[in-house]
Amino acid sequence: MRYLLSSICLLVMVSCASYPKKNGFAESNISVSQVYNPYFSNATKDYVYKADLQFYKKKLSGIIIIKKIADKEHRLVFTTEMGNKILDFSFYKNDFKVNHILEDMNKKIILNVLERDFTTLVKEFNVSTQTYTKEHIQVKEAEVLNKNHFYFYENIGLTKIIREDKGKEKVVYHFLNIEDAAAKRILIEHKNIKLKIQLKRI
Amino acid sequence: MNKIVYFLFFIALGTVATAQTKMSSKEADVLKNKVKVTANKTQSISSDFTQYKHLDFLSNDIESTGKLSFKAPNTVKWEYIKPFAYSVLFKGETLYINNEGDKSNVDIGSNKLFKELNTLIAASIKGDMFNDEYFTITYFKKDKNSEVHFAPKDPKLSEFIKAFHITFTSNGDVLEVKMVEPSNDYTQIIFSNREVNKVIPDAVFAQ
Repeated sequence: MRYLLSSICLLVMVSCASYPKKNGFAESNISVSQVYNPYFSNATKDYVYKADLQFYKKKLSGIIIIKKIADKEHRLVFTTEMGNKILDFSFYKNDFKVNHILEDMNKKIILNVLERDFTTLVKEFNVSTQTYTKEHIQVKEAEVLNKNHFYFYENIGLTKIIREDKGKEKVVYHFLNIEDAAAKRILIEHKNIKLKIQLKRI
Repeated sequence: MNKIVYFLFFIALGTVATAQTKMSSKEADVLKNKVKVTANKTQSISSDFTQYKHLDFLSNDIESTGKLSFKAPNTVKWEYIKPFAYSVLFKGETLYINNEGDKSNVDIGSNKLFKELNTLIAASIKGDMFNDEYFTITYFKKDKNSEVHFAPKDPKLSEFIKAFHITFTSNGDVLEVKMVEPSNDYTQIIFSNREVNKVIPDAVFAQ
């Protein structure tokens, strides 16, 4: 009986362990620190990506343009290859605004997913409450829109962001082909729904 | 000092005025007929194009280049070559898409908006959109060329496009198409190496 109880306790403890601990990361003694995402931080640059979205079997492609406007806003526009605007969003420090969206896509559930995905993508500064380490990787924990996120930093910079829920990966942002603080390829992969957003710098 | 400012202001105003003045209805009719005659004789068009996507908040317009092929009555292929390989082919009731080798198609037979869009694209390539029922049309002279603004009357379409601005050469050929959005952002397409009624191999329109 005692054995059963302790194994249940152990099981509960393991399943309650945070995502980094489950993956072999050790808590470091750094508590509060800054999280920095450099990939959309230069206000003089236009960040233009060829975009491919796949939602189950449906595919949608076009161009995603991201621009930092002064220090207060990130603008994100998605157009077709031929230039027709599909959506146009503004992200402020604590706010989000839809400037334009095609009627067919103007649904709360779609907007919620896109708001979350793109807020995390463009958010430049955040405050981390806990840092973890494993070998040369440093992981910083921070909240975006009230959800737990883990920022993975390696020697070349920020390589991955994971949105977690109850210790499970919900969304993984991969920053690939990093050169001069720019990610030439970005992949946003949802683990609970079949949604994948691929961006290729042009 | 003030005089100089006024002087410069009027010079600037004068330049704008000579660059683009409204046509008389007689001049507009002449242009309309010229374009219609040319369009009716057009069996095929092949042309290079450069596209500029202008968004007000960007530092630079987004430039892409490609090839346009058209075969009467309304088979159209837009092929982007740089900076990505992407083509759309409107053929019969189907829209064929080739996205960097990934092929897919959309049945447009049942989609009224797509059908209208195809007719519109075919018409704008030839410039023949002179339909007062669908558009509010305004005619301008622009140096040696003419510029015509077509503002859609259909509210469904005007949700996307405030106006098409088409620039014609003195021969009535289309030089440039500009699609202006309600926000005043626009897509500008400039044609070059335009060849009319030259045989286009069927392979171009195969998917």
